[in-house]
Amino acid sequence: MSDVAKELDTSGLNCPMPILRAKKALKELQTGDILRVTATDPGSVKDFEAFAKQTGNELLESTTEGETFIYRIQKA
Amino acid sequence: MEIEHIHLIAGLGFALAFVFGAVLNKTNFCTMGAISDWVNMGLKGRFGAWLLAMGIAVAGAQVLELTGVIDLTESIYRGTAFGLGGFIIGGLMFGVGMTLGGGCGQRTLVRVGSGNLKSLVVFLVLGLTAYMTLRGIIGVLRLELIEPMTIDLSEKGLEEQGLASVVLHWFNVEVSTGLRWLFAIVASIILIGSALRIDELRNDFNNLLGGIVVGLAVVAAWIITAVIGYDDFDPVPVEGLSFVAPIGNSISYLMTYTGATITFAIAVTLGVIAGSFVYSIVTRTFRIETFSQRGDMINHLVGGALMGVGGVLALGCTVGQGVTGLSTLAVGSIVATLSIMLGSAITMRVAYHRMDERGVFNSLMAGTADILIPWRKLS
Repeated sequence: MSDVAKELDTSGLNCPMPILRAKKALKELQTGDILRVTATDPGSVKDFEAFAKQTGNELLESTTEGETFIYRIQKA
Repeated sequence: MEIEHIHLIAGLGFALAFVFGAVLNKTNFCTMGAISDWVNMGLKGRFGAWLLAMGIAVAGAQVLELTGVIDLTESIYRGTAFGLGGFIIGGLMFGVGMTLGGGCGQRTLVRVGSGNLKSLVVFLVLGLTAYMTLRGIIGVLRLELIEPMTIDLSEKGLEEQGLASVVLHWFNVEVSTGLRWLFAIVASIILIGSALRIDELRNDFNNLLGGIVVGLAVVAAWIITAVIGYDDFDPVPVEGLSFVAPIGNSISYLMTYTGATITFAIAVTLGVIAGSFVYSIVTRTFRIETFSQRGDMINHLVGGALMGVGGVLALGCTVGQGVTGLSTLAVGSIVATLSIMLGSAITMRVAYHRMDERGVFNSLMAGTADILIPWRKLS
């Protein structure tokens, strides 16, 4: 997707790694930039909802494609 | 008759653990996740669930003890041997291990049940290293390096390491049943009270359910082993729920089945896996997960080994010490639980700094400072 500033693949990793990596990736982005994260850990769905709520970064999208979970997060 | 007795206890343990495993799969109760949510996101809901479990377990176990129904000084937690080195070093190792290995002993069993083969690897490594530390080659190191740091409290005039006994001894006050009730009530109120002050616990059904079920399950385990398990000729060991040594013993049991006897703890271990498995099949959430990255596999192997060795040195895990041990109000359980939390929290921050491609030593220093210096702002 063209509006995505950075792609992060956390496939195969489980809690706490996807959140830690997303946190680090967002830190390097500018306000308004979009981070696209792919994950395979089912626990990541709740984690990213909570993460967005807590940090103020907006979770624009949380979808499932087969075995993969995809998130689009906009940096606040 | 003896065989029937132990089969009854094991059967009750399996049934209890089955419910425990299913509920924990549903509620996502996870002590490592609790620390991750707090350290990485500032969310305390799952930590609150753990505190609630502790508070309920303390209240239940103490009422049972102080009314004379069970004697918790018979458990492994309240003896006069205060294994300071094991509590601190083993606790820190366990904390690091559960963070690298995707969760503590209990969480590993739940995830094995729902098809996570990464957790199956952790299960095997944790069980084997735990057994090696109990009876095998690592046990030699334990006796040489860790045991000398054990303090014999009986030399200091103490009969056991319950919080009331230790604190009152310190102030030279005679222990009475009334004062022990006071300690038990205050401890329960502090734990349950601080849990319920957390919004993300009060407003989250799964967190509340997870905390309540874990707390009650530990109390139920005490009743099964100490009351129903009591027998004049062949009593079973008085124990709550624990998930390190029992994983090692379960593997040993399965390998030596024809010459082995089932125990409560082995039945519990297998019951958690079974409960989680059935829940994941019924809810169609069962799915096979495998390693796909080299570093991830290394982390899980190291994590499993640190949990196996550390958990035996510390006499338990986040449930074994962090709920069961605490429910006896043993001072050693408090030290071990805090060490586990510290080890886990520091590992989260070290992992974060490592992503900056800092060296291991720099990351370790920065991560440790993040957790130990309270006013240091976390990035």
